[in-house]
Amino acid sequence: MSVASPIAAPSPAPLLELRGISKEFPGVKALDDVSFAIHPGEVHMLLGENGAGKSSLMKILCGAYCADTGEFYYKGAKVAITSIADAQKLGIAVIFQEFSLVPFLDIAQNIFLGREPKGRLPGTIDRRKILADARRVLDTIGFDIDPSVIVDTLGVAQQQMVEIAKAISQNARILVMDEPTAALSDREAELLFALIARLKADGVAIVYISHRIAEVFALGDRITVLRDGRRIDNLRPADVTPDQLVRMMVGRNVDMTYPRHFAERPGELLLEVKGLSSTTGISDINIEVRRGEIVGLCGLVGSGRTEVARAIFGADSILEGEIIFDGQPVSGEPDIAARRGIALIPESRKSEGLALMRSVGDNLVVSALKKLFPSGLYDPRAAQRTADGLIRQLRIATPNARQTVGLLSGGNQQKVVIGKWLAAGAKLFIFDEPTRGIDIGAKAEIFALIDRLVAEGAAALMISSEQIEICHVCDRAYVMREGRVAGHLTRSELTEENIVRLGMHDA
Amino acid sequence: MTDLIKETLSPPRSILSQNASQAFYRLLAALLICAALTLLSDSFLSLGNILNVLRQASLTFFIASGLTLVVLTAGLDLSVGANVALSACLAGTVIHQTGSPALGILTGLVVGGVVGFLNGFMVTALRIPSFIATYGMLWVLNGVTYWYMAGETVHGFPAGFRQIGSGYFLGLPVPVYLLLIFLAIGSLFAQRTIWGQEIYAIGANPVAARLSGIPVTRRLLLVYTVSGTMAGIASIIFLARLNSAEADIGESLTLPAIAAVLIGGASLFGGIGTVFGTFIGASILTLVLNGMNLLSISANWQPLVTGIIVIVAVWLDMKTRRSAQ
Amino acid sequence: MPDAAVISQIRLFQRTPGVAIVLVLLIGLFGAIAPGFLSAANLANVLVQSTILTMLALPMTLIIMTEGLDLSMGAVLTLTSLCVAIVSLATKSALLGLGAAVLVGAAFGTVNGWLVAIVGIPPFVATLATLGIAQGLSLIMSDGQSVVGIPHSVRDIYSAAVLSVPVPIIIGLASYGVFHGLLYHTRFGTYVFALGGNREALRYAGLSPTRLLIAVYAIGGTMVGVAGLLMTARMNSGHPTAGLGLEFDAIAAVAVGGTSFERGNGWLLGTVLGVIAVGVLRNGLNLVSLPSSIQVASVGALVIVALFLDGFRSRS
Repeated sequence: MSVASPIAAPSPAPLLELRGISKEFPGVKALDDVSFAIHPGEVHMLLGENGAGKSSLMKILCGAYCADTGEFYYKGAKVAITSIADAQKLGIAVIFQEFSLVPFLDIAQNIFLGREPKGRLPGTIDRRKILADARRVLDTIGFDIDPSVIVDTLGVAQQQMVEIAKAISQNARILVMDEPTAALSDREAELLFALIARLKADGVAIVYISHRIAEVFALGDRITVLRDGRRIDNLRPADVTPDQLVRMMVGRNVDMTYPRHFAERPGELLLEVKGLSSTTGISDINIEVRRGEIVGLCGLVGSGRTEVARAIFGADSILEGEIIFDGQPVSGEPDIAARRGIALIPESRKSEGLALMRSVGDNLVVSALKKLFPSGLYDPRAAQRTADGLIRQLRIATPNARQTVGLLSGGNQQKVVIGKWLAAGAKLFIFDEPTRGIDIGAKAEIFALIDRLVAEGAAALMISSEQIEICHVCDRAYVMREGRVAGHLTRSELTEENIVRLGMHDA
Repeated sequence: MTDLIKETLSPPRSILSQNASQAFYRLLAALLICAALTLLSDSFLSLGNILNVLRQASLTFFIASGLTLVVLTAGLDLSVGANVALSACLAGTVIHQTGSPALGILTGLVVGGVVGFLNGFMVTALRIPSFIATYGMLWVLNGVTYWYMAGETVHGFPAGFRQIGSGYFLGLPVPVYLLLIFLAIGSLFAQRTIWGQEIYAIGANPVAARLSGIPVTRRLLLVYTVSGTMAGIASIIFLARLNSAEADIGESLTLPAIAAVLIGGASLFGGIGTVFGTFIGASILTLVLNGMNLLSISANWQPLVTGIIVIVAVWLDMKTRRSAQ
Repeated sequence: MPDAAVISQIRLFQRTPGVAIVLVLLIGLFGAIAPGFLSAANLANVLVQSTILTMLALPMTLIIMTEGLDLSMGAVLTLTSLCVAIVSLATKSALLGLGAAVLVGAAFGTVNGWLVAIVGIPPFVATLATLGIAQGLSLIMSDGQSVVGIPHSVRDIYSAAVLSVPVPIIIGLASYGVFHGLLYHTRFGTYVFALGGNREALRYAGLSPTRLLIAVYAIGGTMVGVAGLLMTARMNSGHPTAGLGLEFDAIAAVAVGGTSFERGNGWLLGTVLGVIAVGVLRNGLNLVSLPSSIQVASVGALVIVALFLDGFRSRS
């Protein structure tokens, strides 16, 4: 892993320079005046926490998003990147985590999709030429494989190589890689690093997004740290220590205070997860949640937090282990967990939490139908009364219960999802990123609500990528890494740095 | 007052209210067709013909009402016609051999229900897309029916049984009473039971429904079983009215049933539609076909017209959904 | 020399040669229980009778690879067969009959593609509706009657032989050759794989999935038009219900042949084997005097088994 070399000194003129890039989404400033320069033959590491703005920046770079303000300079000349085609013309290519490959075509056909060499008959492909061309591209990246192999039979690492070959064949001079080692084994990662070294030597510029501190020092020639959409620093690996980097990513944010009334002593045990493994890649999870507690579940995106939540709720199949709720084991589909009093407030409320085209009222009572109408007969007026009660109680901003829920703001939609479990009488609330896409005011309201719930004897398990929220709100927290619980932090140990340190790969 | 302001300020038309205005247009369309046919044909506005239309609509409605529930869950049941044929042939044979209409009716309902349950099993347990599973089922049923009947026709049933299909009570055909009864039951089931509510929730967003604690698998099994059972009921009406059954009777029933559901405003993408809408749909379709009949247009035109109507209905649905987004 | 693409296609499927096993089992079964099944004359007969199905199943493979379906093929085949009968009866020209059939078939295919790709109607509903339209047109054109007395030039197409190879087999082989070339050796074929496998990749490469999709359905319709000529020749008449339900055998053959309804995974040779499997099944059941109804039911069962295996394979 000794790719970084002091010899690869940047040429004075950067290949591509971004100046003052800003991008705003409704309610969120994703990027705020970010500038950075990419030099040929250089690996530029892009570092930041979830939501720091890395993926927005990447999408602007490849033309998928249009920047609100800011300028691009290619070899010193001002250019515009407003479409994917613009970016391609400048030789910018992105290797996404989800590949853009066609599974049942071979490697050569995938590399030259849409640019096939013409055969003798109209419409045909010159098979010999496409294979030879593919061979040549594969050779330049040192990937020794038969180009007529069907892509579907390749492993993730090899598919990634094909993606890179495809980008190189389009004369890409700037390669953007989004956490390319996320799905690779250590040995496969070594091969990728060797390839990166080779590309560097050919003068290709690489923008490398990573969570892994070790990679930053092994590969990077230059590091840009992003936080909350802003460029925090731009430096060289030699000038910084891993600890300093972690602190830069976390930062010392504005002091946010959320109302939280911590219980004098924890209540009785409500949820006990013992040795849980599921089909979705989590293994040997042990978690306890007591009444009156808010327990955090932290870790990087992809560390298995959501999978733990889904397994407890019965949404994914369990391979091993036991879930004991309120003294009794619980297993099976979500309807069983829901009946026992477990609630899941999923991360993507639009696709998993709500029926967007149905009304606020319908969504509020959907989990409580059996409880509200034990006879099985549905009374719209009684349902409406329940819904109206919840709308008042949770202060959901909607003209009435008949409003289509898709038209509410994010915060109010989230209240509807919580409300449906209040109506169902849930005892354990599992929140998966409860404040994602919600503005500050609504966040405080949601946390006040969670605080009230647990004060009244319920319990909460809360997944959040916002460490600061976990630190302020939770009694204690589990930190996950690569499908396992990497550590447990008590109230006094609960700091952002501890969370990041435990959650980082080989940090 | 503030509520009024809020309501006027909030985005005015949700998908559902648009759907309500669509229902109005559908009724209007039905009335316009009636008016046009009254002008074009002297015999249209006779009591006899109106009752005839309702009676014809009832058969389509029975099949389509069960199908409506399936479509509400964003599924489709292409086997309903073949199911009617098998149920009718088996029920007819049982009546013939035992002389008991009650046993025959029971047979029809059970056969229909079991076929529906098997469809539900394929969709839920085997996770085969509903249109493929029920399409395969269509041909299995066809095969079984043709084999069982071996080219024979079963006909001649007790007069009491035939009353179900062709009798009159207080001046109205018996199938019309049945239609009203099942319209009421179907509407109550869909709108006024928790299962109905859960079915709408599944159709609107199956993932969210599952994560809201709705037993999606069991409800889907219920929906396909109900659809099959309604086909069984339709087979009894059919048998009683025509006084005979052969293996090929189901072939012309599926497309009209699907057409009735789609004209009735149900969305192929689930979560939108009512049993009453399907009744309107079945009536409009029957009016059109009856009108063609009165204007001496050959029955050969019926599949063509039905096909065009299906395309127009789905196209309207797509258009409203797109403009709502 | 078979080229590398084909070899690797085959290699890919060698791990799951379900259709070959099914075919061998069926041939073994009927060889044992059906008298005369293994005679050369009967086996040739199975192949000849499989021609029309081959001509539907090949384009159906492409359509299913795009995660689509064409339920209208049987009804459109009926219609194009009637077109051949009526036009050749009026003009005494088989060629004009073929021309009319191809035009009508291609028109239906294009409309199907338009409804699916541009209007956005789910394929099974769109093609179910055009099924109704085609069936209606057939009934209207024929007034529910058979069209008889068509010229010899049409009938001879089915019974003639070149170098003692029956013409239908030659047409079947030629169709396979054309589709093989189309799918594995042209840009268009490459894009068909991408339509089902990764439509985003097509957009990223600057190609229009919409136009490609319409073309796939239009090709299907055109083939159905050509098959209409064979249908009329085979029956020596045009009949308003002649081809109804044949799309089911086509879908069965494609499904049995190992083409998946997801991710653009298609195999033309598998489809041909599937067609022969369906043909063997029907022929064998016929020889042991089981009625055609049982044949339909067993083909239905075959599809469900194949789909189940397909789902099973893709999940494991």
